[in-house]
Amino acid sequence: MRRMLALILSPVLLVAVGCAKAPTEKVAAAEKAVGEARMAGAPQYLGEDFAKLESLLNGAKSEIAAQQGKVAFLRDYAKAEQGLVAAQSEAVRVIAEAGKKKEEAKSAAVQAQQAAQAAVKTAQELVAQAPVGKDRASLEAIKADADGLNGSLAEVQAAIDKEDYLAAQAKATAIQEKGQAVATEIQTAIDKINAAKGAKGKPAKTKK
Amino acid sequence: MGVSLTMSLRVCLVVLLSLGGAGCLQKAPPDMLAAIEALDRQLVETRAAEFAPEEYARFVKHWLTFKARLQADEDVIRWPWEVNPLVADLRRIEEEGTSAGQAAAQARESQRQEAETRLAVLEQRARSFSTRVNEMGSRVVLGQKPIETELLVKQARSYLDQGFYVRAIQTGQEAARLIDGQAAILSTELGRYADERSVDLWRQMVKRTADWSRSHRAAAIVVNKADRRLTLYRNGKVVAAYPVRLGYNGILEKRYQGDGATPEGMYRVVRKRERGQTSFYKALLLDYPNSEDQQRFQKARSAGAIPAEAFIGGQIEIHGGADLPMSQTLGCVMLADRHIDALFRSVEVGTPVTIVGAVNVTNSIAMTLAELEQSEEG
Repeated sequence: MRRMLALILSPVLLVAVGCAKAPTEKVAAAEKAVGEARMAGAPQYLGEDFAKLESLLNGAKSEIAAQQGKVAFLRDYAKAEQGLVAAQSEAVRVIAEAGKKKEEAKSAAVQAQQAAQAAVKTAQELVAQAPVGKDRASLEAIKADADGLNGSLAEVQAAIDKEDYLAAQAKATAIQEKGQAVATEIQTAIDKINAAKGAKGKPAKTKK
Repeated sequence: MGVSLTMSLRVCLVVLLSLGGAGCLQKAPPDMLAAIEALDRQLVETRAAEFAPEEYARFVKHWLTFKARLQADEDVIRWPWEVNPLVADLRRIEEEGTSAGQAAAQARESQRQEAETRLAVLEQRARSFSTRVNEMGSRVVLGQKPIETELLVKQARSYLDQGFYVRAIQTGQEAARLIDGQAAILSTELGRYADERSVDLWRQMVKRTADWSRSHRAAAIVVNKADRRLTLYRNGKVVAAYPVRLGYNGILEKRYQGDGATPEGMYRVVRKRERGQTSFYKALLLDYPNSEDQQRFQKARSAGAIPAEAFIGGQIEIHGGADLPMSQTLGCVMLADRHIDALFRSVEVGTPVTIVGAVNVTNSIAMTLAELEQSEEG
């Protein structure tokens, strides 16, 4: 009787002892870490490292799926667990590194923003001083340009607020360049008009 | 028998020892590992994950798996007659990495070329658009849109230079949409110049003016805004023509004071201002606003098409001063001093002055609008 019982129970015990459990908690933790890396801007600022991180996680998940396809008592999740742990620790590094890169990009964007603000301010000050010259249409166009540049500064701030530092820097640099061009244009016009004023005397008055 | 057994044991021992001595730990060749590490760094630098994501992911997956396996199997012993499987695996991974690098380089170059081509077309279109707008004198009509477009084009170029091709294309598309929008604004504001009925109406106004000149054997003036030309009629015949400058928004239809537009309509000279009576050398004051202008202004104000606090304006003249460096006009017709001199001598108070947009549908503004529309379709 005892022998019979042992014969019946031994496979059950074998299965119970040998059946490894899928590391679901570790998968969740690794997924969370990868998600945090994504939120930290890793795809944008550390694209290749993030791709590797995702690959680590996906590799571990594939390994789990492969083990789950085996007979229960032959399943071994050690390799998958190793991959998940590696993914989690790599995510910590990627988050820190992406944070640094993001901070660098932010700093460059803010610097470009300040340069753009200064260029627009100079252009606007020159527009305010510009005597109305022969070509009123040009002056109106320059005024519209200076106002447009000023308005575009808000887009730089909006991009910074959205943490799109690449766009912020590109826009700010474009504004700065154009602001300087506008300022030079007005300064040239002022110089020209002042020279003509000196030569011809009193200017004509504005019409209605 | 005993000797033979001892000998056999000795032989076995020697064989085992020699086998043990020849067997070694399975190791990956360091030079191959270094080569793949270098390849991996190169792929990172060339942004392979962005340009060949699938190929790069495959390489990364196998490379990471291999490294993990290397750690896990570091104590595996390989016998001399066994082939080192790590070498074959490394070769395969190296091939995958090389292939990912090639795919990335190809995709990158293809994207770069596409972005470069599109941006070059856009930059050309933006330049040509800006030139035509300036030629038409319609830059002010577009307000801040030209500068917004210019900034986007510069931004797209900046993305392209930094290797962000998709962003360059997307930003370029945004700029192209802005140009389309400006073309639409111009079409709405200046569509009259291409509209046969409007042009026909203007042509009739010119004919009536010339007829009046003929029937009254007197002088009459016609100002053509599209051609920026003033024509003097006497006895129904053209006797002189002068180039003119208009208000800074001169080609628009005048709506209210300060809009910089030059009015269109049939007017008369109501006063001749000699030198000293005007800052513009000499001037012919017109009877703007006439009753039609008043009606149009009231209607537009009631419809909310113009600011409620706007005035209709006045003091529209044909005057000199075009040669002065600081002279300007906000809606008048400006001539060179020598031309106003000649005109002044030929006209009297009461002389009709007809200001029209154009007298044929192939006028410069209509042609430019058509070109802009074609470029939009292209």
